[in-house]
Amino acid sequence: MSSTQPPKVAVLQFPGSNCESETVQALTIVGLQAEIFRWNRPALLLESYDAYIVPGGFAYEDRVRAGVIAAKEPLLDVLSQEAEKGKPVLGICNGAQILLETGLLPGLKPGNIEMALAHNYITFRKHVVRRGHHCGWVNLRSEVHENRTPFTRTLRKGDIVPITVSHGEGRFTSNDEDVLHSLEEQQLILWRYCNDEGEIEEGLPTNPNGSFSNIAGICNPKGNVAALMPHPERAFFLRQVPTTWYGPWGERRRKEIGNSDAWSVPGPGYAIFESLANYLTSE
Amino acid sequence: MNETIATELYSNPKALAIELKRYGLSLTPQEAIQIKERLGRAPSLAELFIFDIEWSEHCSYKSSKHLLKKYLPVSGRNVIQGPEEDAGILFFTTIDDHRYGIVIAHESHNHPSQVLPFEGAATGIGGIVRDVDCMGASVIGVADPLRFGNPNGNHAERTKSIVEGVVEGIWHYGNALGVPNLGGDVVFHDGFDDNCLVNVVAIGLLREDEIIHSRVPEEGDGYDLILIGKPTDRSGFGGASFASGTLNSENEEENKGAVQIPDPFLKNILLHYKATHEVRRRARELGIKIGMKDLGAGGIACCSSEIGESGGFGVELNLDWVHVSEENLPPEVILCAETQERYLLAVPPSFTPEVLKIYNDDWELPSICSGAGAHVIGKAIQKPVMRVFHHGQLVTELPIDFVVEGIRYQRESEPGVGTFIEPVFAMPDNLNQLFLQMLAQPNIASKEWIFRHYDTEVQGHAVIRPGEADASLIVPIEGCPAGIALSVDGNPFYGEISPFWGGATAVAEAMRNIAAIGATPRAMTDCLNFGNPEAPRDFWALEEGIKGIAEAARKLGPVADREAIPFVSGNVSLYNQSATGRSIPPSPIIACVGVIEDASKAITMEIKASGHLLLLIGERFNELGGSEYYRVLGKGPGANAPIVRYAIEQGIIYGTIQAIDKGLVLSAHDISNGGLLTSAAEMLLATHPRSDLGLKIHPIPPDSALREDITLFSESSGMLLEASPDHADELIELYKTYALDARVLGITTTEGRLLVYDKNDESLIDLSVEEMRQQWRGAFGLTLAT
Repeated sequence: MSSTQPPKVAVLQFPGSNCESETVQALTIVGLQAEIFRWNRPALLLESYDAYIVPGGFAYEDRVRAGVIAAKEPLLDVLSQEAEKGKPVLGICNGAQILLETGLLPGLKPGNIEMALAHNYITFRKHVVRRGHHCGWVNLRSEVHENRTPFTRTLRKGDIVPITVSHGEGRFTSNDEDVLHSLEEQQLILWRYCNDEGEIEEGLPTNPNGSFSNIAGICNPKGNVAALMPHPERAFFLRQVPTTWYGPWGERRRKEIGNSDAWSVPGPGYAIFESLANYLTSE
Repeated sequence: MNETIATELYSNPKALAIELKRYGLSLTPQEAIQIKERLGRAPSLAELFIFDIEWSEHCSYKSSKHLLKKYLPVSGRNVIQGPEEDAGILFFTTIDDHRYGIVIAHESHNHPSQVLPFEGAATGIGGIVRDVDCMGASVIGVADPLRFGNPNGNHAERTKSIVEGVVEGIWHYGNALGVPNLGGDVVFHDGFDDNCLVNVVAIGLLREDEIIHSRVPEEGDGYDLILIGKPTDRSGFGGASFASGTLNSENEEENKGAVQIPDPFLKNILLHYKATHEVRRRARELGIKIGMKDLGAGGIACCSSEIGESGGFGVELNLDWVHVSEENLPPEVILCAETQERYLLAVPPSFTPEVLKIYNDDWELPSICSGAGAHVIGKAIQKPVMRVFHHGQLVTELPIDFVVEGIRYQRESEPGVGTFIEPVFAMPDNLNQLFLQMLAQPNIASKEWIFRHYDTEVQGHAVIRPGEADASLIVPIEGCPAGIALSVDGNPFYGEISPFWGGATAVAEAMRNIAAIGATPRAMTDCLNFGNPEAPRDFWALEEGIKGIAEAARKLGPVADREAIPFVSGNVSLYNQSATGRSIPPSPIIACVGVIEDASKAITMEIKASGHLLLLIGERFNELGGSEYYRVLGKGPGANAPIVRYAIEQGIIYGTIQAIDKGLVLSAHDISNGGLLTSAAEMLLATHPRSDLGLKIHPIPPDSALREDITLFSESSGMLLEASPDHADELIELYKTYALDARVLGITTTEGRLLVYDKNDESLIDLSVEEMRQQWRGAFGLTLAT
């Protein structure tokens, strides 16, 4: 890597992706060079990037099930090959669905599809209140030591990160007990949905989709590939946090009402992009 | 050219009527005769279908155009483009010497949504997004004003399935597109049992020097016309005529065929930041002027004639070049079908190969959607005609101005709304119980069940979202703190009693909602949803509604009568009635766009902290007509619907904007449906469920002549403000300059209760926020889920 050029990140674009712009913007603000990489460009050109983000959206219309068609693109073969070399890969929302469908995650036996992001199963006080798309703010709890992945460098274990979710298929699940067991054992769970006090609690308002063990994001055993259902790029500035939010982030948000100098102050999701930038520049 | 209906028949209106009906044409025999006379020959079938659409109410505004022209203000210093193309444009802000504009369009998709709720609502979003996109804008938000039947009424089951279908349609389409939902509003009323309203608003952002007009540019002689998108099929054939008729359940299957099929996935590729973005970027780079227009009602026929005529050109089309989904479509279907996800581009032939490559190769339209693509289908010509070939035959040759000029009707008008009287009853003795019941009413209860389906966050611009304040706020340009606020309003319960005040209050409330977050109203759009214009009373209601809207827009500008808030676009939807002839309540729906230069100053509606004051702006009047209070008591609509007192309303709007700009206000919420008490409760209900904030207020003025329940529930306009005691004097002084009294009602507490007292300090309301929340939040989901 040349010392004058910032590290280069490819943001993969499939027909139906819809978060490319804000993802590129977030990467640019933390000092990385970000480019949208269209699905039908020669896949081998991907090799020249230092890290990869598979952004949110509805790739291939969520046909069959979310992520499954994009997962069969030649692009993903090259992405898997680059991931194998240890380069960071992050799937956000639909990107997470795609990475699970390629078998990159959880990656216990690479190439095998071991987990699914299934239809939301939204419960309140143990009753299913509805299925379908859910959009709103939730809290994440950081579950690992900061060095576990390139995406957690500036987060401490136990940190609470308010963030937005917007998906219809976000429930981490598997029919293989061993896989679920290994997630915990091999420290593959990066983020869990938690309540305002940082406790893990079933159902709304804490868990927006019925995810197993409140999982919101996982990584592979090596830690370089990660999937996150919520959208850090939409919680990138403090101004995006709802004024009603409970806890320190909400208090900060309310305090800055009327302060135009605080307009571009980082929000809770900033840390994930900042972590990647720190990792790539310190490498 | 082959005529299909023989020339002789035109001298026999009765036989002609039967013949027209046989072909599925909605033209009257008189209209058909008028066409023949103007052409000097009998029209071809394709030509009849073109006029069938162009002369429909939906396309020609034949009953309403003269009224809109006569009354509505459409110009002003902030108008970049008024209601003449697919969408209006108003000035937003200036960055680095570049002027930015906000594009806005407002449409209805009422009839399709009643018949096929999912597809109807989805294509509604699709159409409005294309209207905004084709002006050269990035689409940055949509909103949906919805009106449904009574979920507890005689048609509860059907109403619930329509609600569910519409909400599904909106989120499936809108979320996949990647355009955030900025809210909207929902009202339930028996009058919509047979005819729901699904209005859609979309806004976009552009640089003023990058506007693309919906016309062939000046230098456009010989320009290619390129059709982009989905292959043309039969879907939506006759859609505009369908939208301009009365829903008749006997024709259910036929009606369904008139609803188009949406494809948000293909649209996602066509939208600004993908393929079309590239075409526009290249055109700018090469210094080429292009024209662009979306295909909506009337398909290729309407779109091509309008894009040509408005540029001063004729058009020549070859239907054999149109990409179609099946062989052997008749020419009138190819011309007039309303297949979704299509645009027409006018570009110089030298640029054509590159445009085709961008869509067909770089973005692979044909492999993304079977049969989709971009193809040249004709060209702009000097001669002012619309000339169409099919299989080597000339099927249409019409003077192009005749095609687009439409038709006018002077409808008969007769005043009358029925009899409304004020109910007489004793003051209820348990207001606590009554108020809890009120919070659970479908029109008051939390609409979270609906808006949690919508992606409010995509694009990352959201600052204030649905449920957080009276208006939504987005900040669409990174690094620039200027924000765009959007609100929609319209209360059919008032419109029913007085169509005039129904229109005026919709304008006032939409503007008040913008002011409540600190933004300044800058422009509006209207969608006039009314009944049958051929019924004199319905037509009168339409006239009254337009007059009310226009008066409010002129009197509520920053300087009354000198600077109106302009309408930059709008829509008219008539024939909203059931097969039995029952019309919907007069339902003008207003969308208001506001701007706030420093969005960090914008405020939300939830109470922020304890030890603050709650202030009321706006006196209470005896205005319970159409109120939630009368409804919950089962006392009928009443008669005293709220009116707009322009001087007071101006003070509320501009005083509040000024107060928020000065940083004197911590939260604000307007008073509307449910009255003062409901608004105060909502400021608590919007707080975080773990918060312990409460209110302790004395809302009854010592000198009040009104009974307590009138003060608490009257729906007279007003505003509630939370402010620190340190700012109270300054606030009171500020509103005095608008000749208004800002009255301190009480204080915010940490007791988690809403405590309301009368003049003698006796308790009127004593409820915990928790029990109110259970009613308010639980009720709506349950009404629909069970």
